[in-house]
Amino acid sequence: MKIVVCVKQVPATTAEKRYTSELRLDRAATEAVINPLDEYAIEQALRLKEGGVVDEVVYLSMGPDSASEALRRSLAMGGDGGVLVTDPALAGADQWVTARVLAAALDRLAPEVTLMGMASDDARGSLVPGAVAAIRGLPLLAYGAELRLTDGAAQIRRLNPTGFDILEAPLPVVASVTDQVGEPRYASLKGIMAARRVELTTWALADLGLDPAGVASLTRLVGADPPPAKPPAQVISGVGPDEAATRIADWLAERKLIA
Amino acid sequence: MADVAFLAEFADGHPTRSALELAAGAAELAAAAGGGAVGLAYGPGAADGAASLGAAGAARVVVLDSAAAPAVTVAGPLVEAVRAAAPVAVLAPATPNGRDLAAVLVGSLGLPAFGPVRAVHMEGGAVRCEMSTLQGAMITASQSASSAPATSVVLVSSGTYAPSEGSGTAVVSQAPAADSPQTKVRIVESATEAAAIAALEEAEIIVAGGRGVGSEAGFEALNQLAAALGGVVGASRAAADAGWVPYQLQIGQTGKVVKPALYLAVGISGAIQHRVGMQAAEHIVAINRDPDAPIGEFADLFVVGDLFEIVPRLTAEIERRKGA
Ligand SMILES: Cc1cc2nc3c(=O)[nH]c(=O)nc-3n(C[C@H](O)[C@H](O)[C@H](O)COP(=O)(O)OP(=O)(O)OC[C@H]3O[C@@H](n4cnc5c(N)ncnc54)[C@H](O)[C@@H]3O)c2cc1C
Ligand SMILES: Nc1ncnc2c1ncn2[C@@H]1O[C@H](COP(=O)(O)O)[C@@H](O)[C@H]1O
Repeated sequence: MKIVVCVKQVPATTAEKRYTSELRLDRAATEAVINPLDEYAIEQALRLKEGGVVDEVVYLSMGPDSASEALRRSLAMGGDGGVLVTDPALAGADQWVTARVLAAALDRLAPEVTLMGMASDDARGSLVPGAVAAIRGLPLLAYGAELRLTDGAAQIRRLNPTGFDILEAPLPVVASVTDQVGEPRYASLKGIMAARRVELTTWALADLGLDPAGVASLTRLVGADPPPAKPPAQVISGVGPDEAATRIADWLAERKLIA
Repeated sequence: MADVAFLAEFADGHPTRSALELAAGAAELAAAAGGGAVGLAYGPGAADGAASLGAAGAARVVVLDSAAAPAVTVAGPLVEAVRAAAPVAVLAPATPNGRDLAAVLVGSLGLPAFGPVRAVHMEGGAVRCEMSTLQGAMITASQSASSAPATSVVLVSSGTYAPSEGSGTAVVSQAPAADSPQTKVRIVESATEAAAIAALEEAEIIVAGGRGVGSEAGFEALNQLAAALGGVVGASRAAADAGWVPYQLQIGQTGKVVKPALYLAVGISGAIQHRVGMQAAEHIVAINRDPDAPIGEFADLFVVGDLFEIVPRLTAEIERRKGA
């Protein structure tokens, strides 16, 4: 059985983020990493491979040439191959375009399971997995705290308001997992060396039979501003706990948050 | 096509809080667009409760399915209803169920997607969406790229709109059945882990505990403080990972996004992934023994001290003032 894990390269959570004058994220000015939530999808896929249910783990990323680095880092954790979809026409792709292009690549890779992170750090829509499922006509199992594979079916454990449900669908499926699947492993030195030797596959739009006009973004960024600065906090420190409690209560009372 | 549609999830015959909030939002936008708010209702008892959405702002309600579980299985009728109604926008709650349906809509019909948004405006007959992007580092605004835009799919964070209480009734119709690959998704098992877990998205006051609280027993003092304040308890991922509270109480990037009037963070450092789930709170109070904890950078009141000493005293002080 083959799993394709979709990994996105994103600016590091802590990196300073800037927009260029064309309202594009200035990716050159920020440190790039694997989307942190995709590392959990990688971890889940590798555990399934170690459990013997899965034979092959392949990574798929759409992004600039430099996104090959995210594929190498994924391979350093484990797995068998990597595919990069890159094309100048894809700069600034929105969620629909991303889903459309990933779906076209997945048509060629034809995995039983497509696994994604629950959200990308920069877009945060969590829409790509479901949009890919719809485009490919496959069932969606999103937000799994765990993914299990049985003969011919996939199951996820998903939180509900008071506990959890087990959702099941016949293969092939598109699934996404949360950070509850277990902490992602670190790459070993051996893994890092091995990843360097893997030959990555690179596809442009034409290789996927897609026309740039058919994958023009449907959304347009029209403004980007830093959030309004917040005044510094009022600080209570160097006082005993009784005094602290009284002062907090006063502060709350002044704002009518307590009677 | 100046209507604005919204996803309306039902539970036990009643609209959920998100359905009421989105009804108010859709009514506001529809008024600006010169149309009506159209509810797309699903979930247990949706048919019975559909008309009641009129009081919340809906002019029309299309019942997609009243029995379907999980929610994603209503994708077929949803896609057809949106195709038929061709609204300016569909508002969807930024919950797992809401996002599943929004995503299938985007993929099935090739629609522009936005959000989660912090504000939506009508501009020249289309929506302009404002969102907090890149983990809160930027506020961005987006619009449809086309001058004759198709329906925009907009994820809306909880608390963006306040439910309104009117007296209208909505015209209810039943959507025709339609097949979709999502009908293959089934719930094969359900488990209840805790009898009653507070709905954090609806709370006006949240007392949230982190790793500093130290144990499951440590959360008892937070429960008492929350009770004194008339609020509920929430948590950081570290506290949920430790098993002190259920994951349903986790606040942050991979937990709930909340917008209470008061957020009291106790023994929480204020990591960026926590911050994105609570920074929209109106008032933020932090109790932390580390004067350099990052939460001090975005709290309104930062109390440096030992939570084990302060929390019980604060509870007692609030109770005392209530008695006075
Ligand atoms: C992909 C990803 C997603 C994540 N999603 C989330 C999320 O949704 N929500 C979330 O919360 N986190 C999330 N995290 C984790 C996040 O990065 C932090 O690790 C987490 O928020 C830390 O929790 P904490 O503040 O409770 O613990 P810590 O960071 O350990 O902070 C504990 C605080 O308690 C204080 N303290 C200790 N003892 C006392 C005392 N006696 N009195 C007063 N103060 C005391 C300490 O000074 C410290 O500031 C995510 C991480 C990743 C990588
Ligand atoms: N450019 C991309 N390349 C590969 N996978 C992606 C890309 N964008 C999104 N994804 C996948 O879709 C998931 C959800 O992303 P999003 O819908 O943007 O929140 C991510 O965690 C990835 O697994």
